[in-house]
Amino acid sequence: MPQGAFLETLLREDQNAQAPKTTTIYLPRFGECSYVNSEVIRFPWGLPGFAALRRFLVLSVDGEQGYIWLQSLDDLGVAIPLCDPWSLFEDYEAPLPLYAKQSLEIVTAESFCVLCVLVARPGSSETTINLLAPIVINLETRVGRQVTLENQRYSVRTPVVRTAAAEPPKEVVSN
Amino acid sequence: MLVLSRKLNQAIMIGDNVRIVVVSVDRDQVKLGIDAPREIPVHRSEVFDEIQRANREAAGLAAVPSSDAVPPSIAAPVVLSPPKNNSRKP
Repeated sequence: MPQGAFLETLLREDQNAQAPKTTTIYLPRFGECSYVNSEVIRFPWGLPGFAALRRFLVLSVDGEQGYIWLQSLDDLGVAIPLCDPWSLFEDYEAPLPLYAKQSLEIVTAESFCVLCVLVARPGSSETTINLLAPIVINLETRVGRQVTLENQRYSVRTPVVRTAAAEPPKEVVSN
Repeated sequence: MLVLSRKLNQAIMIGDNVRIVVVSVDRDQVKLGIDAPREIPVHRSEVFDEIQRANREAAGLAAVPSSDAVPPSIAAPVVLSPPKNNSRKP
């Protein structure tokens, strides 16, 4: 089923390559979602654990604050929660290794963003964040890659002390 | 898998510019020296395995497609921006 949806998307893109066309898909986790092609982020090297998945969206979900979702367009069942590492660890440092800068063609500090994978266990207070291997996205080319930092003091599973920012809201709080 | 026997200080070339040398052998521990261009990432495979597991777990815990209650249309693409902290590096 995800395969079919993907092919359909591809076909639609071919027919109407120029116009910024809105595509609407049905996501098993989030329901209906609309996007335009320019919002798609490509991961030419895949992601560790999901080597075959190449096209993703970054989604925010109403009522969820402090994290966003990396939603695969190649397998609609795959969505990975991400967060801004600096929202949890102010002094986080992510100097990009040369292979990352070269492969992602990163030139200026304004041209990329850094997000980290959250592993949150429902029903448990333990949430971890992968500070060692952030996901780096070139905002101009919209190409992303999960990059392993050379800094060995960061861990793939750094415990997150739950704060308001990282905790999935139990109820929607009115702003 | 290609299997090659090497002695101390002997090397293997991978492509034209990756060279792996046996630096020392001590019981069950082998030290390897790796000469590779900086644009090629080199990591212990445990690190990669760990990242793989964490990603799968993150997605697995995320994917709770309970067939009944999928909320309608609440997910929308985010406009990403570089965090302020970027300017300190890269």
